[in-house]
Order: sequence, then structure tokens, then C-alpha cells
Amino acid sequence: MGRAEPASDGAVVRAVLAGDVEQFAVLVRRYRDRYARYAAHMLGSADAAEDAVQDALIRAFDQLRQCREPDRFAGWFFLILRNRCFAERRRGSREARPLEEAQQVATSLDGPDGAVERTERRRALQRALLALTPEQREVFVLKHVEGLPYEEIAQRTGATVASLKMRMHRAYDRLRGELEEHR
Amino acid sequence: MTREFHPLVKRLLDGELTLGDLPLELRPEGEEALRLLAALDSTPVTLSPLLDARVMATVRRRAGSPATARESFRAGRAWRWISAPRDVEIRLRVRPWAVGALAAAAVLAALVLGRPSAPPARGAIAAFGPTRPSALVRFVLYAPGAHRVAIAGTFNQWNSDATLLAPAGATGVWTTTVTLAPGQHQYAFVVDGERWVPDPAAPAVDDGFGRRNSVVAIAAPGGRAL
Repeated sequence: MGRAEPASDGAVVRAVLAGDVEQFAVLVRRYRDRYARYAAHMLGSADAAEDAVQDALIRAFDQLRQCREPDRFAGWFFLILRNRCFAERRRGSREARPLEEAQQVATSLDGPDGAVERTERRRALQRALLALTPEQREVFVLKHVEGLPYEEIAQRTGATVASLKMRMHRAYDRLRGELEEHR
Repeated sequence: MTREFHPLVKRLLDGELTLGDLPLELRPEGEEALRLLAALDSTPVTLSPLLDARVMATVRRRAGSPATARESFRAGRAWRWISAPRDVEIRLRVRPWAVGALAAAAVLAALVLGRPSAPPARGAIAAFGPTRPSALVRFVLYAPGAHRVAIAGTFNQWNSDATLLAPAGATGVWTTTVTLAPGQHQYAFVVDGERWVPDPAAPAVDDGFGRRNSVVAIAAPGGRAL
């Protein structure tokens, strides 16, 4: 027995624009977790990531008429979430408790083998990540957490590969400095 | 003072080199750099299952009606749109050279439609349906060398295959006429299926993501600008 193909993003977006608001739930289910890890690393905590993803989904609905390539909803939504994350970091509303946030993200990987040292290294790195600029942190997260090549990061963010590499190399040095400082 | 990684070590971190590619004296630094990456937490982050309900509750509220009442709301709105008398004003952005052609068309339209038995002509590029206010708006783009030009906008759900422009001979001029309802419409031309071009003769707005959408506005009843 055949199984119905899931509707494409483009078809769902067009259905919502035509008035079928309930179809937006398809996009919510499809994208709620896809960029959650990116948001968590950008903002320093899973709670902050949840707020950001929720806001970005609502903003996507509000601005759906401006999504001029419905079949590329994923990239468009990523830009909304990215803007939200950058704005949040620039507001600095969460800067006051980076250590707590760093621990919150890092402890998610605590293993049964009691790898205390590894957990400490993760916390230290997450804390150091929060010391980067949003642009540096983003390229680091997209490449080393999400595993994207520079070319795809360039496509997503609109930056050139050369400028992304420059940001990344500065990020490496900054991370090294931060980790040495807190060793 | 921050100690910088050696450029070759940075290339190692970028995945362009392996540890074995580094000179012997750089390998300890390379190992330190790789330990840094190994500490990275790449566990998937799962958000609360309640997030979906929270988003959809807000979406339904912003859509203006609960899901159960949506159909009746839309039907009522459609009926009000069809039945309410209204005036329509058209704002058209065209290239200067096109004005002559449009004026000639206006004269022709007036001659044809202006006879006593015909309804009075309202303009060269506008016509109004008998029950529903809408306007015919002509879009023009000069795109020499293009093989295909389409227009996508809020009026066709940004479908770049729905509305194609026709070439005016070999002049590089492409045109189409679209029926638009009163309101503000955002759009862009799509050249050869991949290049999005805002209308150079129309005002544009930032779409919030670094791109420009052109805007055509048709006034609401009573001439109130939208």
C-alpha cells in the first residue's frame, strides 16, 4: 500500500497564504527542532533557544506573505531565527549569567562513564563560545556543531567564504585565549 | 596576551589538513587544537512538546479567528468584499518610454469603449469586474538577453511559474497584465528562473532579510491610500 508523500514546504506555505491557517502546524512540526541546537549554542541555553524558536515561528507566520520563495522556506526561516539570535545577544539580556548557561548546555552530555574532565572541558568551551562575537560564534557553530561546509554557510548567511574563514580564524584564537585564561 | 594558532593549525581545524600534514614542531599545537574541538557539545537539543501548541494558539489568534470559525469568517469577508460598493484607484509605476505606448492605448480604449452603449472607459490599463473590484495592472521590465521572465508576488503566493511576461519582439521589453485586488502587493521579477529583480520603476521595501520587494498599491474604497 502506498504512502502519501508529505506536502512540500512550498505547498504548505501556499495553503497557509490561501487561508488554511492550520497548515502552519506542519511547518512548526517540521522546523521546531531542526535549528534548536544552533539557537542553543548561539544563545547559551536550551531555554533561550526555545524562546527564540517560538518567536521566530510566530514571526515567520506574521511575515509569510514576504516569503517569496515558498519552496525555500527552510532557508528563509533560518534567517528569521538567526536575526532573532543576533538581536538577543546584542541586547545582552542574558549576558549576566553566561556561566549558568554554559553549564546548562554542557551538562546535557554528561555520560554514565563519569567523564568529569570531559564535562568540565565542555563547560569551559561553551563559556568561551559566549565570549565570541555573534558572527564568530555563528560560523563556529555552523561549521563545527552543525557540520556545514563554508560554502553552505556562505549561502545561508550571505557572507563570502573568505570573510567566513577570517571570522573563524579569529574565533579559534579567541577561544584559545579564553580557555587559557580560565585554565 | 592571546596566543594565536599557527595558520597551518587553523587549516587543520578547518579540515583542510590532517595532523600528519603538520610539521613535527606544530603537532603538539595541532593536538591541542583538536582537543578544543573534541570538547564541543553537539548533542541534539529537543524543545518542549508544548511549543507547538503555544505557537499555533498565537497563530490562530493573529489570523483573526479561531479554527472552528475560520470558514464562516472567510465567507463573510468574501461576501462583504463582493457586495460593498467601492472606488478603486490605481497607482502604476512604468518606465518613461512606456508612457507613450500607454497613452496611445488609452486613446484606443476610449474610442472603443467610449461609445454610448458601452460603459465609460476608466483607463488604458485598468478594467473593473462587474461584481468584484479588481484592477488590471500592466507590469513592464526591460531585460535584454533574458530567456524567461516571470513575476511573483503576494498576489500569486510568490509562485515564479504562475505568471510569465511576454517579450515584445526583440526589444528586450517584457510585459504582462495582472488582475489585482485593492490593497498593497509586493512582488519581484524572476529572470531566467533564478535571478530575482525588483522593479526598477517601483518603490521597494526591505523584506527584512536583505532583499528588496517592489510594491504596488491600489487604494481602498473612498480613495484611502493603502
